[in-house]
Amino acid sequence: MLKKQMKHLLTVLAITTAMVSVPTVSNAAGKNASDIEQGKELAFSRSKGNCLACHAIPGGNLPGNIGPALIAMKLRFPEKSDLFDKIWGKPDKSMPYSMMPQFGHNGVLTDAEINKIVDFLYQL
Amino acid sequence: MKKIMIAALTLGTTVSANMAMAADITPEQSRQQFVDYFKAKSPSIEFNEYGNGVYNYNPDQRMQWQAAEEFPPYLDFIDAGEALWEKDQAVYENCFGKDVTKVRVMYPRFNEKTQKVETLEGQINQCRTDAKLKPFGWKKGDIANLSAYLAYQARGQQIDVKIESEGAKKAFLDGQAYFSKPRGQFGLACAECHVYNAGRRARGNTLGPALGQTSHVPMYRAKWKELGTLHRRYEGCDKNMRIVPAKVQSETYKNLEFFEAYMANGIEINGPGYRE
Ligand code: HEC
Ligand code: HEC
Repeated sequence: MLKKQMKHLLTVLAITTAMVSVPTVSNAAGKNASDIEQGKELAFSRSKGNCLACHAIPGGNLPGNIGPALIAMKLRFPEKSDLFDKIWGKPDKSMPYSMMPQFGHNGVLTDAEINKIVDFLYQL
Repeated sequence: MKKIMIAALTLGTTVSANMAMAADITPEQSRQQFVDYFKAKSPSIEFNEYGNGVYNYNPDQRMQWQAAEEFPPYLDFIDAGEALWEKDQAVYENCFGKDVTKVRVMYPRFNEKTQKVETLEGQINQCRTDAKLKPFGWKKGDIANLSAYLAYQARGQQIDVKIESEGAKKAFLDGQAYFSKPRGQFGLACAECHVYNAGRRARGNTLGPALGQTSHVPMYRAKWKELGTLHRRYEGCDKNMRIVPAKVQSETYKNLEFFEAYMANGIEINGPGYRE
């Protein structure tokens, strides 16, 4: 009996702390945390970005090596918009003979999706 | 090196701009540049080794593959192919001659009368329907087994595709355009994976060289657990590029095979080959 009550109490506690902690988390990291998480999913998913086909990315398994590793993106692209343009496939950011797909230009990913990928890459 | 690359890819990725140039050089010059490109890329790989595709690039995979080729899982399929030949022997001999070692080397070839490329598989079914026999399915099973039997009989002879007319040259250029033109959402071309990036990895898959891709066909794939034709493989790569594939044994794929086989002239036939 006591045991059962204990359990009940624990459950209630768990639920309330969860409820309490949710707003705290989202206050701290804002909308960003889930954008980064979604960006990672978009980048890793085979049916979406499939970036791992060609790039090593921290946290990803079995990467290809057709393109350079995607690390230190802040150093490489001090302007966040340049990184967006590179992935979108703006002509002035595209290299001749490159296999890098023009994700926005060719309609593979939406601008919103690319923005999330940029958020994810930018904190690597 | 850069210069060689650009020359070899008169076969270029920016095909629209380069096609005019490509038409100006002869198929033989294209072939020579293609071979030179691979030589410059990997000086230590012997020319004839290109018949072993991707296994030139990865020593671990090469060891596994050699082990597989020692007790090849495709022998039963070759036996099945032999039985098929014997079953309708008179019909086949009427089309291809009596010497089974001399059939594989005749194809692909350009038929001046029809002004079209003929492939081995295409002619097997042509031969059957002309004799009022039911044609085989196109991608696997009987057609692949019979084709494998004929390849096995022809092992050691060199690929020798001839281009001796304007029509043949046109078919070659058509195949070359299909090979080098970026297509689909990803803007990928066969050449991107199998020429520029050969030896690199796409995810866990090493990209094999385009040179010699027709030497060992049809192939046994561990993934399929059976034999499949070259065109079945073309279809698979087209699908991976997320584009609608051409039809197997369509004029498009026949011209592509004609182009690839011409580029592989001089490499020994070693079909059927084992692939992952
Ligand atoms: C089919 C191969 C391929 C795929 C898939 C691919 N890339 Fe690339 N990527 C390349 C190649 C090759 C380069 C180097 C040449 C260039 O800059 O275009 C490159 C370059 C880049 C660069 C520039 C790196 C630098 O330091 O200059 C970024 C950023 C990038 N890719 C991001 C991505 C993202 C994000 C994805 C997935 C949404 C992706 N790539 C998918 C092939 C690919
Ligand atoms: C995104 C990369 C990619 C593209 C683009 C691509 N392939 Fe492939 N292809 C592969 C990989 C990976 C393999 C398996 C490894 C190997 O054998 O090269 C393969 C295998 C093959 C094989 C079997 C090779 C063998 O030795 O048995 C053929 C033939 C082939 N591809 C032809 C083509 C043709 C023709 C095109 C264009 C219509 C094409 N590929 C486009 C990645 C690609």
